[in-house]
Amino acid sequence: MEKDKKVTKIQEFIYELKVNQVMAKNIVVVDKDMSLKDIRTLLRDQRISGLPVIDDGKLIGLVSLEDFIQCLASGKKNCTVPEMMTKKVVTVFSDSPLVEALKKFDRFGYGRFPVINRETNEVVGMITKGDIVRGLLKKLEIDYLEEEIHTYRASHIFEDMTAQDFMLRFHYSIKGKDFKHAGECASDIKKTLKRLGVQPQIVRRVAIATYEAEMNIIIYADKGEIIAEVERDRLIITAKDEGPGIEDIEKAMQPGFSTASHWVREFGFGAGMGLPNIKNCSDGMNVKSVVGEGTVVEFCFKFNSKHIEGKDKDECI
Amino acid sequence: MKLSEVIKILNADVLYGEDHLNDEIEIGCASDLLSDVLAFAKTGNLLLTGLVNPQVIRTAEMVDIVAVCFVRGKMPPEATLKMAKEKDIPILYTQYTMYKSCGLLYEKGLPA
Amino acid sequence: MNVFELVEKLNFEIKAGKENLNNEITGGYASDLLSDVLANSGEGNLWITLQIHQNIVAIAELRNLAGIVIINNRQPDEDTIEKADRLGIPLLVSGLPAFELIGRLYSMGISGKVKDVQGD
Repeated sequence: MEKDKKVTKIQEFIYELKVNQVMAKNIVVVDKDMSLKDIRTLLRDQRISGLPVIDDGKLIGLVSLEDFIQCLASGKKNCTVPEMMTKKVVTVFSDSPLVEALKKFDRFGYGRFPVINRETNEVVGMITKGDIVRGLLKKLEIDYLEEEIHTYRASHIFEDMTAQDFMLRFHYSIKGKDFKHAGECASDIKKTLKRLGVQPQIVRRVAIATYEAEMNIIIYADKGEIIAEVERDRLIITAKDEGPGIEDIEKAMQPGFSTASHWVREFGFGAGMGLPNIKNCSDGMNVKSVVGEGTVVEFCFKFNSKHIEGKDKDECI
Repeated sequence: MKLSEVIKILNADVLYGEDHLNDEIEIGCASDLLSDVLAFAKTGNLLLTGLVNPQVIRTAEMVDIVAVCFVRGKMPPEATLKMAKEKDIPILYTQYTMYKSCGLLYEKGLPA
Repeated sequence: MNVFELVEKLNFEIKAGKENLNNEITGGYASDLLSDVLANSGEGNLWITLQIHQNIVAIAELRNLAGIVIINNRQPDEDTIEKADRLGIPLLVSGLPAFELIGRLYSMGISGKVKDVQGD
């Protein structure tokens, strides 16, 4: 009975909300005359698998990293965008209810669809399953505050979504030496996970580890980014920076080892506990670093199994 | 131990959180290093610290600290109070040293 | 009370400064901010901290502290031990967190005898 009620609520929203309310609006598009080199850079920088191809404002195809690789593999010296792109593109209209988009995700199995304005036929956005979940979450939050704190938990989105392997992806840019905003990313991730109904003990471990990673970027690098990917049964956080890099990772993993300057220590950080603490809090961690280029710290959390502190664990990355 | 009792023992001022006087403090934690708090603090804590920058409140938020007490008569800046309000984390302020604050609270039965 | 009596009662690990364990303790001071200790600790105080850097020894020497206790089982750096031995500063390690260690010391009668920062 309870469950039915919850499903009804989600059902209501997926009919009520329109695609243009949740889609990504600032999208990157490819012009049909663009060079391969530029497209490759785009695909890499945006880290997205497919870009819409535009000719005179109209959508003529979708080009993906795979198309690109296939083209190279075929031995052709230079293939043009129109040659390698997928021409039959499934799209959704911006004024359709979310349920239409969900149906298409299910039917075609693609990760993303271009969104088209029904009248002008122009591309106005892109939509992913993540966008839909985020949109529903936002709607639920309002709802949640207004009336139904006890009857609805956003966690049921996990159960109610029809898609098999959806993923939520959050991206944060971190500015070096920006102590004023330090911790905002970790704080935001904490809030989101709470809203998703993740267990408080796990949320706390994620918050602590993410905060350490965020502080590391702020203390040591000029800039960096943190990406959180929430899946059904695990969460992966990637913290990347363009900093000085770590000379000896093994040493950096030892509690108490620190290269932080005096002022950082007086500020309360730099006690050489950052990486060891991330390791302790997470269910798996991986550090890659190149001196003079930067550092990537990846760590993960499992939602359904017991956390073992101190154990060597690398199962969820 | 209720927060109101902590306030009495430390002869502390409440800089934010008059609504939280009945909140339950389970354990005490003393540190001037946030890295240390992040690594060792448990939930249900009162954090006693001589640091007064806004990151103290951030850290408290991350590890689910119940209340923060600034020791050694160090008054926090406006930005710290603002963040405490935003995160709804009560803030106390005492003239006592860290040593004396911990000693008194432990004596009155607040465990570590 | 002197440092040695505490070592026995609270199971401290002695890292350096053995010859000065009879230093008399006038009170306790807890801080992880070196500048604060330099400004506000009192002569003959036992200093409780989690800092392990060799600068702690220099400060203990400057302020004539009775000794340093490092908490949470943190291990002092090699140079810290060496310097403490050279300057004859008792350097001890405790497995307890700061709050509990201070609580126990306080209940054993080692109080903040020395005035608080802004008067008592």
